Amino acid sequence: MKQHNLERPLIMHIDLNSCFATVEQQARPMLRGKPVAIVNRRTEHTAIVTASYEAKAKGVKVGMKFKEAKALCSGLIALESDPSKYRYVYHKLLDIMRDYSAHVTMKSIDEGVIDFHQTSADVQERDLVEIAHEIKRRLREEIGVWMRCNIGIATNRFLAKTAAGLNKPDGLNVLTSHNIREVLGKLQLTDLTGIAHRNQQRLNAVGIYTPLEFLDADVVTLQRMVFKSVVGRWWYDRLRGWEVDDVSSDVKRVGRQYVLERFDLSYDEILGRLHHLCESVGWRLRSQDKAARGVYVYGKTRERQYWHSSTLSSLPFSSDKTIYVLARQLFEQAPDQLKEIGVHVYSIEPIIDQQLSFFNDQIVRERQVTGAIDSINRRFGERTVHSAHTLASGLYVSQKIPFGSTRYL
Amino acid sequence: MNDETFLQERVEVIARFGQGHQPCYPVRFRRASGREIEVSELGLRHPLPTGNKTIHIFDVTDGGADYRLEFDSERLIWHLTMEADHYEAA
Repeated sequence: MKQHNLERPLIMHIDLNSCFATVEQQARPMLRGKPVAIVNRRTEHTAIVTASYEAKAKGVKVGMKFKEAKALCSGLIALESDPSKYRYVYHKLLDIMRDYSAHVTMKSIDEGVIDFHQTSADVQERDLVEIAHEIKRRLREEIGVWMRCNIGIATNRFLAKTAAGLNKPDGLNVLTSHNIREVLGKLQLTDLTGIAHRNQQRLNAVGIYTPLEFLDADVVTLQRMVFKSVVGRWWYDRLRGWEVDDVSSDVKRVGRQYVLERFDLSYDEILGRLHHLCESVGWRLRSQDKAARGVYVYGKTRERQYWHSSTLSSLPFSSDKTIYVLARQLFEQAPDQLKEIGVHVYSIEPIIDQQLSFFNDQIVRERQVTGAIDSINRRFGERTVHSAHTLASGLYVSQKIPFGSTRYL
Repeated sequence: MNDETFLQERVEVIARFGQGHQPCYPVRFRRASGREIEVSELGLRHPLPTGNKTIHIFDVTDGGADYRLEFDSERLIWHLTMEADHYEAA
């Protein structure tokens, strides 16, 4: 049986508390102490992206419709999300974290990990709890007095994140072999990152109902009966503080979705919004110096039906025009009564300047035009040049917060 | 939903330039109506890159209302772009 990792805990997970709501309360002092909800659009049907702790205390949850939240919390103040503000705070946090180690990984716009294994001797000699307090103080000094963060320290990323979630807001916890049983004993299976409904069912099927039972399960059970793959071994190691999550992932797909602002839009108006999404996707794709070969389009109807279609091309592409042409062809089969649309590109590969034949003149021209438009937009601002078809949609389909990925920040 | 008023009003601003984490701090501004507002706290300053140009956004308060001031670093002009002074009671 593998023992718990007994090395010194050198992984620190930092998570900004209710990030977007806290940043708004920092920016606007009159909002402090009040229940605030961040939404992507000012309508009653909009979903809540983040809620302040004052709102959470009254039962407001992320993902809840604003109308439902307002019924729970009558004084709830809705603010439209302001990505440039959050991007600034993200970069300030990143700067602070990089002062302690070159090995910093941002997991999303509001959380990141510092790996202290290969830092300078000066930093390594210091107590990590002391550094954690220093980071909290620097957040307040360098961004603002209202800023708070949760910090967790452990021997691996998973336990550090678990530790960071223990005492919100403004918590600081160290999770080691000495206190892991005590901590896991107070949690539910679904409190563990990576254990949602389906994994919980898998564990329940073999009689594992609590995190402690999960910790005590043997590797063979986890590998052969619960996860039926090497994932079982990873969970066995993860719970014992061994690192299995220090991996970087490649871009597999680039996409955007949009909930229609009205349900009575004409087909052409919806196409305009689809075109706008394609321009955003193309811009993001090219910003990573990537091309794609596949386009995937989906729609959700008001009756909660999910429709999707995809196509794979023999040649890689990255221009907005090609993405839109392919997406529009697929979209011809889309059902009526749509409430949400989305477009992704997949089969991503690096843009390579291949030796192009005479017959590829069209591709070369398109690439040059796209490059010229991109450089104008970089110089004068996003969407300085865009398709006339998306002129009317610009007001609605503005760029929102890219959750889950920090590639575009 | 909330009580923000969005504006595009040219304002005159007295700002203090110095060192530290807030090298530019708007101290007082005069609105088009002539009303002068004393800034009691700078909530957050963040840049808004618009192509090669950067607009600096200052969210400030006078203790009674929140304001958003925008400084165009190319044209060296200030605008008041948001005022919020009567949030719903919690």
